[in-house]
Amino acid sequence: MSALLEVKDVVTAYGKIEALKGVSLEVQQGSITCLLGPNGAGKTTLMMSTAGILRPRSGSIQFAGAEIAGAAPHAIVARGIALVPENRLVFPGMTVTENLRAGAYQRADKAEIEAHIERMFARFAPLKARATQLGGTLSGGEQQMLSVARALMSRPRLLLMDEPSLGLAPLIVDEIFRIIAELNKDGTTIFLVEQNAHMALKVANHFYLIEQGKVTFSGDPGSLAEDEVIRRAYLGSARA
Amino acid sequence: MLVDLIQNTLDGLTAGAAYALLAIGFTLIFGVLRRINLSYGPAIMLGCYAATWFHVQFQVGLLVLAALTLAATVLAGAYVERLCFAPHRDRSAIAAMVASFAIWMQLEELATLVLPNHLYAFPALYEGGPLSLGPFTLRAEALVMFAVTVLACLALQRLLYRSRFGLSVRAVIDQPVAARLVGINLPWVFVRVFAVASALGAVAGYLIVASAGQVTPMLGMWSTLKGMLAMMLGGLGSLPGAIVGGLALGLIEAHSQWFFGPQVRDLTAYFLLFALLALRPSGLWTTPRHG
Repeated sequence: MSALLEVKDVVTAYGKIEALKGVSLEVQQGSITCLLGPNGAGKTTLMMSTAGILRPRSGSIQFAGAEIAGAAPHAIVARGIALVPENRLVFPGMTVTENLRAGAYQRADKAEIEAHIERMFARFAPLKARATQLGGTLSGGEQQMLSVARALMSRPRLLLMDEPSLGLAPLIVDEIFRIIAELNKDGTTIFLVEQNAHMALKVANHFYLIEQGKVTFSGDPGSLAEDEVIRRAYLGSARA
Repeated sequence: MLVDLIQNTLDGLTAGAAYALLAIGFTLIFGVLRRINLSYGPAIMLGCYAATWFHVQFQVGLLVLAALTLAATVLAGAYVERLCFAPHRDRSAIAAMVASFAIWMQLEELATLVLPNHLYAFPALYEGGPLSLGPFTLRAEALVMFAVTVLACLALQRLLYRSRFGLSVRAVIDQPVAARLVGINLPWVFVRVFAVASALGAVAGYLIVASAGQVTPMLGMWSTLKGMLAMMLGGLGSLPGAIVGGLALGLIEAHSQWFFGPQVRDLTAYFLLFALLALRPSGLWTTPRHG
């Protein structure tokens, strides 16, 4: 395996406050890599920096060998990265179908887009029943599916997922993780941020722990006792 | 009495059609950028002045004048976007608004420098007298104004709901972060939205000055005020609201002029806006926002 995404010494700051204080990590081609850590550790900041919404102050982010740190989000999507953002951020005033069409915004193959939407409806059955409903009227779990499906519409090589299980009922969480495993099996590399360490460690090939803007541990699931990982992911080692 | 009431309603709807066009342009810019563009009207004024200048110099025809107004307004609009809104994209909304005020002054100075008289004649759309329909009279310009507004609304509706550009505009209005995440190039959408809004404003501006048969530098302030007032009456950021707000403003002005006299015409609209902002700050016509 080779690294599809290589993050090196990335510093991202909000004004004077550095949320990422030199983060380095790798996501291997074909893997599910998971980033765990307590609230405020910088997980979302790293996702937003990789997707181009936030501009890193320094450091490098290489995707498939090309530097993307500081590039505009649309240029990053064009290279093959899609982010399923925290809180899903579906288009509330657009129908489910329109949400999916927006996900394919950069594609020009009109007929293939419609066929792709049909495949999404086959994979995410609850969305099909809501095809003409507005995104804002969907339940949390449906919105999460829509957000994932929308990201997939750009046919990404790397799918970034920020807290896909947040605020969802346990049954739906199982469903979301089943989808993650399935997508990975179909060849999509996945970089996942999760609070739900227990579920994440079940699907991940590799994980990183991030605490206070720095990577403090990395390993394969099983390399650290799960309860220790979970304790640090929720609480951070400094406060333990 | 009833005849007057109906006549006033007709006049009000006609004026309202122009206000609606102005408000739609204003609303598009506000919806996409979340910024108030005070230079919206002055850009229209400059477009009309460019056409007037050509008219004074070369005596060109109506269609050429309309095309000139459109082209010059779109150029002026793009200039405003580049100067006021592109540099302040991620920063202060106030900075962008103040910058748009500065550009307003600049455009007004430019217009009065090139054409220094207080007012210039502008060729009328139609030379004949008003048409009469039984007891009512209607100017031909009013019919044109109404027809063009309806056509412009339909064209905009088509653009927004049937094109890729429309999809990107609606996505940006709906959820700007997600719009960037699906790969929409935000700065490029902004420039094109400015062009579309300016084009709508130019159509309104041209019809207004051609109906009035004259143009003054006050057209800038007038357009910004009417457009903003209509937008706020309809509810910030709602396109159907802008149409309703524009028509409502026209009707209110026409009827209050009849009831209270011409001096009160503008005052009523401002009073209404004040009452509306105090009682229902989100506007008369607002769609609930989710998420």
